[in-house]
Amino acid sequence: MRRLYIHPLLLRIWHWTNAVGFILLTLTGIQIRYVDLFNVVSFRTAVILHYWVGFIIIGNFFIWLLLHLFTKEARNYHAELNPVKMFKGCLEQIIYYGYGIFKGFPNPFHLTKEHKFNPLQALTYQIVMLVFVPLQCITGVLLWDIARFAKVIDVLGGVRVVDTVHVLIFTVIACYIPFHAYLATLGRTPMEHIKAMVTGYEEVEDDAPEHDEKA
Amino acid sequence: MADREIQLMAMHRPKNQAGQRQAGLVSIVAALLTVAIIALTAPASALSPDDAKCLSCHQTAGMEKPLANGESLSLHIAGDKFAGSVHGMFGCAACHSDIDVAKHPGDAKPIASKRAFSIGRAQVCATCHTDQATQWSHGVHAALVRDGNPIAPVCTSCHSPHAVMKGAAQAMETVPCKTCHSDIFDAYATSIHGTLRAAGITQAPLCYSCHGAHDIKVPTAGAGLKDTCFGCHKDAVAKHQIWLPNTQLHFTVISCPACHSPTAHRKVDLMLRNSETKEDAVRPIGVPEFQGSPDGAAGDKGLDPATLFTLMQTLNRTGVKNKTSIKGMLEVSSGVEAHKIAAASEAIKNCATCHKAGSAAFQSVTISVAGSGGVPVHYGITKDVLHSAFSIPSIGGFYAMGATRITLLDVLLVLGLLVGIGIPALHLTIRWLASRPTDKPGKPDSADQDKKEG
Repeated sequence: MRRLYIHPLLLRIWHWTNAVGFILLTLTGIQIRYVDLFNVVSFRTAVILHYWVGFIIIGNFFIWLLLHLFTKEARNYHAELNPVKMFKGCLEQIIYYGYGIFKGFPNPFHLTKEHKFNPLQALTYQIVMLVFVPLQCITGVLLWDIARFAKVIDVLGGVRVVDTVHVLIFTVIACYIPFHAYLATLGRTPMEHIKAMVTGYEEVEDDAPEHDEKA
Repeated sequence: MADREIQLMAMHRPKNQAGQRQAGLVSIVAALLTVAIIALTAPASALSPDDAKCLSCHQTAGMEKPLANGESLSLHIAGDKFAGSVHGMFGCAACHSDIDVAKHPGDAKPIASKRAFSIGRAQVCATCHTDQATQWSHGVHAALVRDGNPIAPVCTSCHSPHAVMKGAAQAMETVPCKTCHSDIFDAYATSIHGTLRAAGITQAPLCYSCHGAHDIKVPTAGAGLKDTCFGCHKDAVAKHQIWLPNTQLHFTVISCPACHSPTAHRKVDLMLRNSETKEDAVRPIGVPEFQGSPDGAAGDKGLDPATLFTLMQTLNRTGVKNKTSIKGMLEVSSGVEAHKIAAASEAIKNCATCHKAGSAAFQSVTISVAGSGGVPVHYGITKDVLHSAFSIPSIGGFYAMGATRITLLDVLLVLGLLVGIGIPALHLTIRWLASRPTDKPGKPDSADQDKKEG
């Protein structure tokens, strides 16, 4: 086994900031929406905390964006423009998770410096980071100061519409995060990928190629 | 117009004036004695001999005139009060110039009713009190009069013309508003405003302070209430911003008494309004739910979410120029409760009072349109509109976190969490079952196969 440095420091800081932020946003968001069921801190504290953490997550999103606009990290997100190839890769991965993993079949994906995400991961992360997170940030900012953004909110159909979008995206993210956390435990050991997101190093087979064969 | 015809006061002789018909010395002596009594009891500077002449008859207790509708109009004037009133110095003829003394009371014209007489006399008041009359004509009282409301006040309803005293409307004891609005005045009198006013603090508002003196406005119409309160409480925004997130939003959708009358019953009023002008819309024509008398019923009666959705789609169908939207406001349920303002320390500050499911504030809902003089006219609508997915486009502009959440979104969230947690849990369970030592020999070691997940 040898170690492959694939998670730069800035990316790791971004990831764990996001992780803590998402948990706080989830908890405070649930209290704001369901204070009758979940009441840990005062309502006002929950709201203020939700605002502050929300802005940290927005700032964090831009760190992620800049990192991927100006470093080689972007190659992990390069969209597979051939739909047949993309769906074939995703399907292989789904079959592996849904069947092969139980039978002990090998993972069809092999990690390299250029591609650290399997096709399903790459597609999911692109949708999450380029659609859901920005939409959640935008609707969050609008809801942060409804009076200030009244005209924009009116154009969008009103605060109820904006809130509905915010809650729907939260529902998707709330559904996605347990999947993400669980899939992260499917390494050789449950903590392998989680440790890698702390140290930056993934362990690969000695004979595994460091770079893409095309690279 | 009949009202104009009745401007000339037609007076009948009092019933008990038989003695005055007697000729000769007795009547002359009686008249002289009456004038002398008036001259002695009234301020000499206030009443002229001509006025005394009028009062020689009109000071007679019980003097009245039967009207066409069967009512009786009192013609009795308390001379001392008139003399002491602000009108006393002008004398009778200033307002009753239409009376020809030479022919009076012989040329008395019939009067239809007390109401018609009062409305007609308002034009006489307007000859001197031009500004006040103009202001009145722009107010809600005038709008109600124009609509034929039989009790909406005109000048003489609030100002007894023969006993007008300066400052009467500025004292709690004599303010005329409480004649009709007694229940509201009683609520006011026990409020922080009324208590301070009664203690002699003149900065504390009385009726006219918020509602105007003649151009009576309904503060709840439009943004009026906020502006009215801010007229004195100029630092209200700054004080709320210290602790209240989204202060401006709260000020836009919540009326001040909703929090500052802590014992009041609250309700949501959904106001139909013109999307362009932002003014309250008038009653939609041809919509069954807005026909007949509004009863302001709230709770389980009235429009349901699907009907409201259809209504809004109809009002905003393609080709309609003036689009209609709904502005929601959290208000107190009655004018009486709006006046029960408590001290600031007693105001509602706990966010969860409103921002939770089942909050009392969201159990009553009305839908309103603009009525006479801007007074909202309320119709019933079910509280389900606050929680229905149909309402997303219908009342997109009103939403209270936690309290008016859409039930369908709650269901979706629960499903999302079940999927998000349930599938990984199921997957983990199957992996555990598949990797048990009892597995058939020859099965590959899965731990050696996993490469990269996450």
